[in-house]
Formats: sequence, C-alpha cells, structure tokens
Amino acid sequence: MNLKEIREMINLMNENSLVELEIEKDGMRIRLKKTGQGTETFNGPVVIEREKIPQQTIQESKEFSDRAQAKTVEIKAPMVGTFYRAPSPEAPPYVEVGQIIETGQVICIIEAMKLMNEIKSEIKGKILEILVDNAEPVEFGQSIFLVEPL
Amino acid sequence: MFSKILIANRGEIALRVMRACREMGIRSVAVYSQVDRDSLHVRFADEAICIGAAPSSNSYLNIPAIISAAEITDVEAIHPGYGFLAENSHFAEICESCNITFIGPTPENIKLMGDKMAARTVMQKAGLPIVPGSTAIIKNKEEAIKTARKIGYPVIIKAAAGGGGKGMRICHNDIRLAASLKTAQAEAEANFGNPNVYIEKYLEKPRHIEIQILADKHGHTVYLGERDCTIQRRHQKLLEESPSPAIDNKLRRRLGELAVRGAKLVNYISAGTIEFLLDRHNNFYFMEMNTRIQVEHPVTELVTGIDLIKAQILVAANKKLDFQQDNIQIKGSAVECRINAEDFENNFMPSPGKIETLIMPGGPGVRLDTHIYPGYEVSPYYDSLLAKVITHGRNRQEAIRIMQRALSEFHIAPIKTTVPFHLRLLENPLFLKGDISTHFVQEMLKEEQKGEE
Repeated sequence: MNLKEIREMINLMNENSLVELEIEKDGMRIRLKKTGQGTETFNGPVVIEREKIPQQTIQESKEFSDRAQAKTVEIKAPMVGTFYRAPSPEAPPYVEVGQIIETGQVICIIEAMKLMNEIKSEIKGKILEILVDNAEPVEFGQSIFLVEPL
Repeated sequence: MFSKILIANRGEIALRVMRACREMGIRSVAVYSQVDRDSLHVRFADEAICIGAAPSSNSYLNIPAIISAAEITDVEAIHPGYGFLAENSHFAEICESCNITFIGPTPENIKLMGDKMAARTVMQKAGLPIVPGSTAIIKNKEEAIKTARKIGYPVIIKAAAGGGGKGMRICHNDIRLAASLKTAQAEAEANFGNPNVYIEKYLEKPRHIEIQILADKHGHTVYLGERDCTIQRRHQKLLEESPSPAIDNKLRRRLGELAVRGAKLVNYISAGTIEFLLDRHNNFYFMEMNTRIQVEHPVTELVTGIDLIKAQILVAANKKLDFQQDNIQIKGSAVECRINAEDFENNFMPSPGKIETLIMPGGPGVRLDTHIYPGYEVSPYYDSLLAKVITHGRNRQEAIRIMQRALSEFHIAPIKTTVPFHLRLLENPLFLKGDISTHFVQEMLKEEQKGEE
C-alpha cells in the first residue's frame, strides 16, 4: 500500500463518518482508527497500525478461535440493576439450566428504577449455568449466564 | 448523618468526596465506566459498581444507571461532584423522588441559575450590578444590532442555557455580529440543547472574581472570601488564587454581602459560587452563579480552614453550619495550578496515554488533589485534568514561591502535561505583579511565539 491509497482510505472514512477502517490486501493489514469521540476535549489524531500477516497464521488463528468459541459464551448484563429470573414472584423462571434458547428470547429481567427491563439473548445456545441468584444486584458487564452456542 | 453516600463522578473529585466521607465515618459507593475499572476512586471506595461503557452518556451521565446503582447499594445520598450531572436539575429531582438526598442545592436553585438570563434578572433584583445586556432573547440580526448599539461595542453573544465558557462569540461591529448570530445559536443548540442566545457588553481586560458562599437549610448563609480566576485559556481556568491581588477588605466585604443577598433571595442551599467581572476601574458586575462545588474549591479551603465538602454533606443532612460570618477569616494566600494532560508546546493538544514515571510534589504548604498513580492509563474519554497542585503561604509571594518549588518536583512521563506551562506562567513579571486580565494567557503565549521566531 502506498501513501496515495492510505490517503484515499482516510477520505473514505471522513466521507462516510467512519471511526475505524481495516483493510487487508496482499498479506498486509492496515487499520485506521480515529481516537477520541466524546463531547469532552479529546479530538485525537488518526492512528495507523501496520501488521504484516502471513496467510498461514490467519487461517490457523481463525480455526483456533472457532474451536474456542464453540465451548462457552458468557452473557453479560447490559445494565446495572436487580436480576430476576421470572417476570413476577409467582411466575415460572424464563429459563432453566439445560434449556435451549433462541436469539431474541427473553432470558431474565433486570430491574432499574422500578422499571422491569426484559433482557434478550443475542445468541442461540444451551444454558450451562446461571451465575446470579434471583433478586441479586448486578453491575454493567457482569456475567449472568454461561451458554454453549449452537 | 448519612451512613452511605454514592459519588456520581470520577477522577480527583470523586476521591475528594470519598476522603471527606471516610473522615466522617460515612461509607462511600463509587460508580465507574468500564475503562475506569482500575481508577483510584474505585479502589478507595467501600463499594464500587460498574454502570456502563466508556462514553459519558453510557456511564457518568446515565441517570437510570446511576440511580439503579444507588438503589442496589441502598445509599441515602448522592454527591454529584462537579461537571457531569452536578447541575442537572432533572437528576436532582429524580433523586428526590427516589428518596435519595441530592448533596447540593435544590432543583429549583439549579434550574433558575441554569437559565443565565433569569439569573441576571433575579440578581439585579437583589441589588447586584449586572453586565449591561439584552433583557430578552435575541431573535434576529436586527434585534442584535439594535441591542449592541444601545449597550456599546464590543459585545459578546452568549447561550441562555449555557455556561462553562462554551458557545460564546465576541463581536466588535455590526457586520461581525450579524455573521456570528446564526453560528452562536447553532453552537448553543449543539452544546446545551437550546438555541436561545442573549447579548452582553464585553468588558475589555476584566478580572474574573468569584465569591464562595455556603448556606444551610436553616436560613444561615455566609461568604468565604473570593477567588481570582483570571488566568484562563479559551474560557477554561488554569490557575486560581485567594485572596485576589486586586481586592481590598472593603471590596471583599461588598462583594461578599451582595453575594449572600443574592443567594438568600433565591433561597439557595449548599455550596455555590457567584461570579463577577471586575473592570480596570474596580467596577464589578454579576456574570453568573455556579450551583455546584467547583474545581478550585481547595484554594478557599486553605485560606479559610473550612472543609467545603464536609460542609456540603452536613448541610444535606440538615445540620446547621456552626460558623458565623465574623469567624470567617482569610489567612495567608493560596494558589492552585490545574495540571492537564496536554502538550503546551503543541497548542495544548490532548496527550492521553499511560503514566510510566510519576514523582509527586510534597513538603510544607503543598496540597495535591489527584487520582493519578504510576501505571495509570489516562483515557481520551473524559477531561484532561490530571492533578491540582495547591500551595498555601503567609502571603502571595510565598505561595507562589512554594508553587514554583512544588511544580519543579512534579515529574510525569512520558505523557505531556501543562507543568512546564505553569512554570513559565509563574515567572512572568506581569503575573507576579498581579497585573492581569482574562487575556493574559493569550498574550503571554503570543509573546513567547514571537520570541521564538
């Protein structure tokens, strides 16, 4: 890749309001990333990282990560609040260990500020473990379910 | 007294509030975004809750997440610090409706003073002189020009819902005014969600003098001297001092009494700051009121010996302030330097990154309010304030001498900081004489550039 092509990439980013752009060509990978997006003071420069990646390694690492992914995935709480397994105290829990869940299926409730938020699964899989007890508080990003993706 | 308080903030101010809590036997709860996981305020707190992803809107400005964290940790009060939700009346109202005490003024105080034009009107009623300006929102070019001609150029266009030095435009003539109006309105909309603007006379080379006030819920209001915050760059304060070299006892009493009168008229509660502009003839004008604890509060704490954060907590817990105006004395002189992660030689370009080397200043007369530590990663998501170095001496000269000594000890690497800028500033003869205006930094930087060419 030469400077002209890199400049074109930068223009492409600006024209399409992109923050990150990664292109792989001829065994070379270039990632352009604009740092600092908030309304605070930082409007950093564009960062350019270059990595030369032999084709063989790319194939191998993809296979390895596929195998690793097949094992387990942690579903994390997308908000802070109180975790409930069922829509109400008398109702049965949304899911149990061993159950197969679909993408978009409601798996629990996280209550925040008196609002019951239905949390939906983003993957299809089998529930291996429920990591939080009913009515326990959860933080943002805390693992709540261990799932085997299907 | 509260048994547990949540601090809805980060960085040095979160630490500051937690320290007061620790000394008062109050448990503290920290909230943090994912990138602040290793932050000092998280480490020092008794409990910590991750509330969201890095961007402020997902975390420190995320009201449901913060209230939710407050509920699951069962706190009785929330201290908002400065910035973020500190002057968000909506947040203060939500706290109240959830039975959580908001440590600060009332939602009405915040709303009233947040409306910069309404604030001017009410303070004028209290007898404070205000900067000559428009009495209503400026709707179009014709109104703008008419108002400007009446007040006299130069004028400044300001956002009615604004503050913090953002979205302002200085105009010296009709053409410039007409051209700037639309952009000022757009900026106001973008920054504050409200395009309304008003016009004020622009005072040339003023000093920025602010009065700290404290009020309890039992009608007792006092002033704690002034702070001179004239050293600014792009309307952001860089160095603050108390007392002001331009204020004598008589003027101090006058400003203080007017500030208290204004605060009482609006039934103000907790800590607040009334900002004035002082012109070269010692005429002063009310500019705006900040309904929060300020970054530069340590300067007042050092000269008065009064802990403002503890006072805020006591007031919020319905206690009476136990000092009278006559007991409040200004002893010695204090100076604060705000050290930012910015490259001063490169137009103050932000300089985030990991702090590998850190040697902090110490010794007599030096106070350091900071959240940095060796290995700390300064992230680009939040403001660039790294540390506040505050010094206290028997007089201004000594406070400055101690500051020079302290800053020469302060080593932060490899990120760039504004320590070298402050060292330059502290040797400047005009600064040492106390002969400055809000243009000082701009002029100093221009002189330096000329010197290099």
